[in-house]
Amino acid sequence: MTDLLKIESFKLRKKLRAWLGPILIFLLIMISFPLTVELASDELKNVFYSILWLSSLLTVMVSLDSIFLEDFDDGTLEHYLILNNSLFSMILIKIFIYWLLIGIPISILGTFFSISTSGDFSSFYIAFPSMLISSYIFINLFALGNSLSLNKGSALGALITMPLLFPVLILLGKIVLNANFGFEISNLLLLMLGVLLIIIVIIPFIISFVVKTHLE
Amino acid sequence: MLKKLYHQFASPKTYVVLVDKIYPIIFYTSLITYVFALIWGLAFAPSDYMQGNSYRIIYMHVPASFLSESLYIAMAIAAAIFLIWKVKLAAYIIKAIAPIGALVAFLALVSGSIWGIPTWGTWWQWDARVTSTLILFIMYLGLISLHSSFTNYEKADKFISVLVLIGSVNIPIIKKSVDWWNTLHQPASITLTDKPSIDPSMLYPLFLSMLGFSGLIICLVILSSKVQIFNREGNKTWVKYHV
Repeated sequence: MTDLLKIESFKLRKKLRAWLGPILIFLLIMISFPLTVELASDELKNVFYSILWLSSLLTVMVSLDSIFLEDFDDGTLEHYLILNNSLFSMILIKIFIYWLLIGIPISILGTFFSISTSGDFSSFYIAFPSMLISSYIFINLFALGNSLSLNKGSALGALITMPLLFPVLILLGKIVLNANFGFEISNLLLLMLGVLLIIIVIIPFIISFVVKTHLE
Repeated sequence: MLKKLYHQFASPKTYVVLVDKIYPIIFYTSLITYVFALIWGLAFAPSDYMQGNSYRIIYMHVPASFLSESLYIAMAIAAAIFLIWKVKLAAYIIKAIAPIGALVAFLALVSGSIWGIPTWGTWWQWDARVTSTLILFIMYLGLISLHSSFTNYEKADKFISVLVLIGSVNIPIIKKSVDWWNTLHQPASITLTDKPSIDPSMLYPLFLSMLGFSGLIICLVILSSKVQIFNREGNKTWVKYHV
């Protein structure tokens, strides 16, 4: 298990464009959006969170472009399947590494931006946990979509994944709404965490089924 | 006995023979029912005291939106059957339903927009029900494009059924969107548990129109599934004898 963790993280760390690129794209989106809204107005605060969710979604979409493609092309997936007769652990760890190297940095950056936009440290408690959880869910689902459209281009993967993400986006919207009214948001965060805990286990199973079908 | 029947029905040949027998019955009864319901609804049902005559598009809008969700549920059941028991017929039926589902969802959206002009004062509103039906429409298009991007049909069948099953998490959200959010779209008037909040003089034609429209769409599904079967099993001998 730890070997796998080391190998996967090594593979991603060596590909600088695959993990640093998306983080920089996220940074660029977050920097460029105040230019399109009138600076330092209240409007900025109102639309800030929707920009944050959507840019994290787009970042994940860009970063997961070729999550399985290179391993599929050079035969790593097939090799691993023959050796261990299961792809579950490999996919679980692959997704976890992506979250570690892309999901957590963009959560930290996004929290930093939300604190600086609202000028209030309390937005840390809204932005940070919800971005941590939602980015993990996004990574799982985009990995699924990209495994379905493995060698058919990432546009198809994005097309079939986006509709599945709407429930998460609705939940995120609810969190911001409740926080604006001063209600409790921990219940919604726990609901999202519950969804994540189901997804973490189920999605790698489905992806390994799909990848096996691809390898047949 | 039952198991034998089940296995027989799972073979495309028995399916086509059976469907050819019952197709005219379903088609003519549902056509007569729908025409009858339309005449009743458009000419004889009383007009609404708030909306006047414009509500009469309900006899087309409600069956279409009802079917756009039901067809997805039917696809999800077929996908489960295909993945668990590897029944090929179920995969053909998924492929056959997808474009029809997209068509019906589109009809629901268009008739809803037309209804929106006199009642809401706008033909489009980013309301929960409308948006979720649009998402459903896009989901159908995604399914079609996923299946058509693979030349190996056996792989494509597995992928499309996985996607249908996962996409079915959105169905309860679409169904419940009008209850969970405060939106412009009214909550459902007919539910299984409560007394309908719509007057019987409008309810009976609505019910008949739902039955008739569903029958017509089922006929469309049958025709489309026959196309799929003949396409995929075209080199089998029974097809040559049958056609």
